[in-house]
Amino acid sequence: MSLYIFYISNFLLLLCLTASVIQSSKIINNKIFTRPGVITLAYVQLISILLTFLILIYLFLISDFNFDLVYFNSHSEKPLIYKFSGVWGNHEGSMLLWILILVLFNFLFALSRGISERFKEITVAVQSIMIFGFVAFLVFLSNPFALNQNNFFDGIGLNPILQDPLLAIHPPVLYIGYVGFSLVFSLAIAGLITKEVDQQWASIVKPWVFSAWAFLTAGIALGSFWAYYELGWGGYWFWDPVENASLMPWIAATALIHCVLILQKRNVMQSWTIILAILTFSLSLVGTFLVRSGILNSVHTFASDPGRGLFILLFIFLILVFSFSLFAYNFEKINKTSSMGLISRGTGIQVNNWLLITILTIVFLGTMYPLATDLLLNKSLTVGPKYYSTTIAPIIILFLFFMFISPRLGWTDTKLYKIIIQMRYLIITSLTITLIISLYFELFNLTETLIIFFSLLLIISSMTASINFNKQNILVRTNLGQNLAHAGFGILMMAVVSNAVYSEERIYNAKVGDNLQLQKYIFSFDKIEQVEESNYNSLKAYFLMKKDGKLIDTFTPEIRFYSNPPTITSESSILHKFFSDIYLVMNVPQDQQSISVRMHIKPFMTILWLGTLMIIIGGIISASIRIGRLNEK
Amino acid sequence: MTNLVKSRLIKFLLSLIIVSIAVLIIIFNLRDNIIYFYGPTELLKNSDKQGQIIRLGGLVSVSSVQNESDSIFYFSITDGDNKIDVKYEGILPNLFAEDKGVVVEGVYMNDGRFIANKVLAKHDENYMPPEVIETLKKSGKWQGE
Repeated sequence: MSLYIFYISNFLLLLCLTASVIQSSKIINNKIFTRPGVITLAYVQLISILLTFLILIYLFLISDFNFDLVYFNSHSEKPLIYKFSGVWGNHEGSMLLWILILVLFNFLFALSRGISERFKEITVAVQSIMIFGFVAFLVFLSNPFALNQNNFFDGIGLNPILQDPLLAIHPPVLYIGYVGFSLVFSLAIAGLITKEVDQQWASIVKPWVFSAWAFLTAGIALGSFWAYYELGWGGYWFWDPVENASLMPWIAATALIHCVLILQKRNVMQSWTIILAILTFSLSLVGTFLVRSGILNSVHTFASDPGRGLFILLFIFLILVFSFSLFAYNFEKINKTSSMGLISRGTGIQVNNWLLITILTIVFLGTMYPLATDLLLNKSLTVGPKYYSTTIAPIIILFLFFMFISPRLGWTDTKLYKIIIQMRYLIITSLTITLIISLYFELFNLTETLIIFFSLLLIISSMTASINFNKQNILVRTNLGQNLAHAGFGILMMAVVSNAVYSEERIYNAKVGDNLQLQKYIFSFDKIEQVEESNYNSLKAYFLMKKDGKLIDTFTPEIRFYSNPPTITSESSILHKFFSDIYLVMNVPQDQQSISVRMHIKPFMTILWLGTLMIIIGGIISASIRIGRLNEK
Repeated sequence: MTNLVKSRLIKFLLSLIIVSIAVLIIIFNLRDNIIYFYGPTELLKNSDKQGQIIRLGGLVSVSSVQNESDSIFYFSITDGDNKIDVKYEGILPNLFAEDKGVVVEGVYMNDGRFIANKVLAKHDENYMPPEVIETLKKSGKWQGE
């Protein structure tokens, strides 16, 4: 039975390879393969990969340990949802998921309307070359259907830290973001080949780039939220190489979506937009595969294999060489010289583009420097988080300023003083609030105060802008996404700064009956219990949180002992309040009678997630409005 | 030189200067925040690292763990050849145990003791930090593949 499945799935993969070869051949305007058409082939590509993916899911669900992948990553006693998510909790499975999304974007684009046939053919052909490369890699170098000769009775199991509902959806969401940029890349290459990178190109690209960006944002946020409650360190962002790997494409993509907007409105910055599209996709590849390759030494690295990293590096290298040669060859033909006013919205966006690239460089250097010293000098080192915060914070101030001012400027030359006079009440309000905040909380650090001031300015101006436009029905539709996302970013920055300044931590060694104090709260250690679950045993402690003698909430931090594979994890217990989170986590070190409890007050966490959510929703609104418009045409 | 060439040259030089200043600032900031990793033997050779924040990794020596009060611990980290005494105040991770791999972050003091402010948490019982494996290989004590 297993052997049949092996043959069927590999046959399906080969079918997809063949379809992709024919699809790619259409990049040259040939007469040989006019049939089957683009859409038919796209169907074949999608269905073959979808079936392969379903087969793999099936194998995990029935726990067929004749397959290596299932044996190494699953266990018969695991809850159903983790058998399911175990499919992409490993290298081969996540590769297949990546390919499925690649094919899906290819398919959706092939079906979209209002695009010239030749342009569509080229885009799909470029996309199919990538599909071919990745499917070939899957079949020959990391086949998910490799069989073993032993009759294993049970599997090894999925790393318990990955057994979390959030981590079941985090990889797919993140991947939709990463892979979405593959289509944007294909569109950029098609634009270079047809030499048509213009306003129409921008309006074709827009919905795709916005939705990919929104998914990437959501993916990063989910990962960060998971790290916050699961890793038990009370932090949400550690400037860890893996986190940076997902942040880098996000920064490039943020620059890209704004360039696509300028291109659509003013027909300028063609080359720069193309460069950003190539850069974003390359960084997405780096993001996915550095994580999987095991090159990065990180808290998040679970499934890794150094050998495969080489293929990916080669692939990224080829993509860069190919696309930049094409760019060098054609860029003069796509560039149209038209000017923008010096003090205009376009200039503001351009400045922020440069600031984003600077931040990207900072993150890139910090992430790659340890890799380079390790490979070249055989010297291990890490870059402390302080490097990022101290270098990036001053740039964020400028960035927030231009985010605030640019949308208020016109596309042509605008008088700056007129805008400032227009905004005077807003500036005074923000200044007053900042002053109150800094006096009340004794916050006298210049950088932090400035970030709070400009964030407030951005939040208030974005919110009033969306209200002002409400009377004129049309404007509110185009600007709602932008204003929501911009206000969200301001809220996020304010929350990040205040959280960093006001977090508090207490560590206690506690026995049952102890009363522990954190600010005005008393925690009484009520009892400790042993709980047996299907896939782990756990020690559960009960802490009653009281304020002025009144019971407010019960905290139940846990320590879980998993047996397949043997691992211990600490589960935090968090009370989310609007203005601050209270966070408890415990540890039981060996040779010790009492348990260690760490308590955090984490201010503004809810607001931080709220800001992030606003950014995501803003992106989705911008993407969907554009899709709606495209269909109207 | 025509005016156009001149103005382009000025623009180019100006942006070159700005970019180099930015890169210099970034690199200096990077250098200030680098945390080096050492094994015990390596650290003893690099006595000039005293007073800097560094990471130290190896195995927790057998029967070296003692606690002074609720949350102050003493243990030593060894690579088989040399060991360094560590003082740590805080919570030890669940998987901290004697004869297991560990990485600590802190300051190497003048008296040869290491004051740790972080014991890096690891997730998996069989997991060995790659740096520790490297360290053990250097001292010839590595027994894995």
